[in-house]
Amino acid sequence: MHCSSSSSTVILCALFAVGAASHAAEPEQLTRDGRLKFTPVFRNGGRELVFVELVNPTLYQLRRLVLADGTNEPLHANSSTSEFEPAWSTDGECYAFLKTRGALSVSVVVRDKQGGELGEILPGAGFCGYRSPALAPDHSRVAFSYAEQGTQQIISAGLDGGDRKPLTDSRGINSWPSYSSDGRSIVFGSSRDGNFEIYRMNADGADVRRLTDHPFQDIRPRYSPDGRQIAFTSHRDGNAEIYMMNADGSILRRVTESAERDDYAEWHPDGERLVIVSERHGKTDLYIIGVPPR
Amino acid sequence: MIFVFLWGAPSHLDTCDPKPDAPAEFRGPFGVIPTRTPGVSFTELIPRIAVRSDRFSLVRTHVTTAPGHPDAGTVALTGFPELPTPVQPNFGSIVAKARGNRGVLPSFFSIARGVVMDGGRRIEGYGGGTLSQAHDPFLVGCTESGDVDFPALKLLDGLNPLRIEDRHRLLVQLDAAARRAEQEGVKSWNRNAQSAYDLLLDPAARQAFDLTRETDEVRGRYGYTTFGQSSLLARRLVEAGVAYVQLNYSRHVEALNPGFEFGWDTHIYNFELLQDQLCPILDRAFSALLDDLYERGLIDDTLVVMMGEFGRTPKITPRAARDHWPPCYFSIWAGGGVQPGRVIGSSDKRGEHPLGEPVSPLMVGTTIAHLAGLDTQARAEMNVLAGGKLIDALL
Repeated sequence: MHCSSSSSTVILCALFAVGAASHAAEPEQLTRDGRLKFTPVFRNGGRELVFVELVNPTLYQLRRLVLADGTNEPLHANSSTSEFEPAWSTDGECYAFLKTRGALSVSVVVRDKQGGELGEILPGAGFCGYRSPALAPDHSRVAFSYAEQGTQQIISAGLDGGDRKPLTDSRGINSWPSYSSDGRSIVFGSSRDGNFEIYRMNADGADVRRLTDHPFQDIRPRYSPDGRQIAFTSHRDGNAEIYMMNADGSILRRVTESAERDDYAEWHPDGERLVIVSERHGKTDLYIIGVPPR
Repeated sequence: MIFVFLWGAPSHLDTCDPKPDAPAEFRGPFGVIPTRTPGVSFTELIPRIAVRSDRFSLVRTHVTTAPGHPDAGTVALTGFPELPTPVQPNFGSIVAKARGNRGVLPSFFSIARGVVMDGGRRIEGYGGGTLSQAHDPFLVGCTESGDVDFPALKLLDGLNPLRIEDRHRLLVQLDAAARRAEQEGVKSWNRNAQSAYDLLLDPAARQAFDLTRETDEVRGRYGYTTFGQSSLLARRLVEAGVAYVQLNYSRHVEALNPGFEFGWDTHIYNFELLQDQLCPILDRAFSALLDDLYERGLIDDTLVVMMGEFGRTPKITPRAARDHWPPCYFSIWAGGGVQPGRVIGSSDKRGEHPLGEPVSPLMVGTTIAHLAGLDTQARAEMNVLAGGKLIDALL
């Protein structure tokens, strides 16, 4: 274990070697329209994806992609306001997403798998909102990022927004929480030590440990289904690429290598593949890529 | 001339004027990377622009007077505030009037899906102002797939002008649209609409709007985003002889509002919005535009200026983002007689105020007009840009 608790102490994670030769096979392209896409997530045992697409210059739309037949359609056919950053509970029983309600005003909406609304966590007055919702595996709680008093903290709440418990209490931006499948820990990104790095903590916010240390941003961590690996986006090689590491921060491996942007990795339930958003020749689409061996 | 308007106002600290040694509540979370200009670093969000810094000059000492978007937008585009009315003309109206039309294309285009707006309010400095509506820009929209549309022809439901092969069919549609407008109480076709009809009927003009004439490789370099393909359209327009193109990053300032385009006004989630969407799109498209202008030999005759209407608060706000900051912001200048690779001035340790002579929007407009061939006497004869000084260090 090479990582220390969060502090200003020097971290040794940067000493981990990068497995530069361990790239996986060429990604398989899932969409071909080239429009801007963000934050794909699997559901229904990996048979479907839900992702965000900028379907026109004013609208982020949640879309559902059926991998078997290529069906690609709005998840919520009647929505006329931007919806983004979807998250599914591991048990598949419910999901959360963000919804714009007004000028720079963003709520968290939680629904069951049939689409019935379980709660909407409303923002405060004025320019205010939430980011990066994540559901506990048993969908008992939802974690999200919220800004106040000059910092942005990760907060856990009931699905109706009640019983709020701050999980982080640091300077800087804390965001992109991802629960381990056993629900006992959360991996997240934070700028508490100067720039964006990857950290983990217990699900109650205790025992924070830093997992990466690089002068360029490491963001959007995602636990593998077995909780033993973490995929994330790093700019350490000059642009956004997907990397992996063991859950303790060891054995860093580069997954993608492209002159263009690779981002928003999410694990397939089989733990052997990732869906990513990748820019190729100026077009942004979803791809599936195998993960390199440990 | 291409004026790239980053409407909504990007943070100078998170893009072209980072302050890595400032206190944490100022500097933000992004790493810094070197540029090709000695002593100048940008943030990691714009690596492509950073490696092209030898192709442009950077001004870090801009100051404006207006704290809100509508007035600051007008000041940015005209050099003067909204009041008194009538407002002073857009820099593009001045250049276009002086240069005149060369060919069938209008001499001043604004690329957006309509007049630039803050909320429901249009920016008064969008057009001809004291020079009259005859010098308003011709509005043209462009989608992420490169489809071009003319807001002036919005009554032509379902008409894609570039796919009209049959002139007779087009004329029938135009006549029908005119009748509909009359029935709907539109008193007269404006100049934009008449110009649009003329353009649709002119094969050479239609070619200028047809991005499918570019190779996939060229289109891909710009990125298949609204701003990316709009940037390519801007290059095609100046290549076709248009005097002035105002290339708007978005029609609206708002970063996250229902029904509005996603602009640079990042009062919440500044850092995520910059890293997720705003900067990647800008970095790709603007660097491709510079490369394209160089490779086609257009850069010497094409001035490119990129800027917003003000900066954003150096001190991170209670919402962990950045608000409006008129006292300090930046611009990028390339081509058209500007010396590349220069850095004009600097800001203080926290990016709050310029060190040295402040550069006003009026100086921006005066320098643009000067480089377009309007000397002091010509500006005086047009009764525009009164009292404006040049940004001498760029020349």
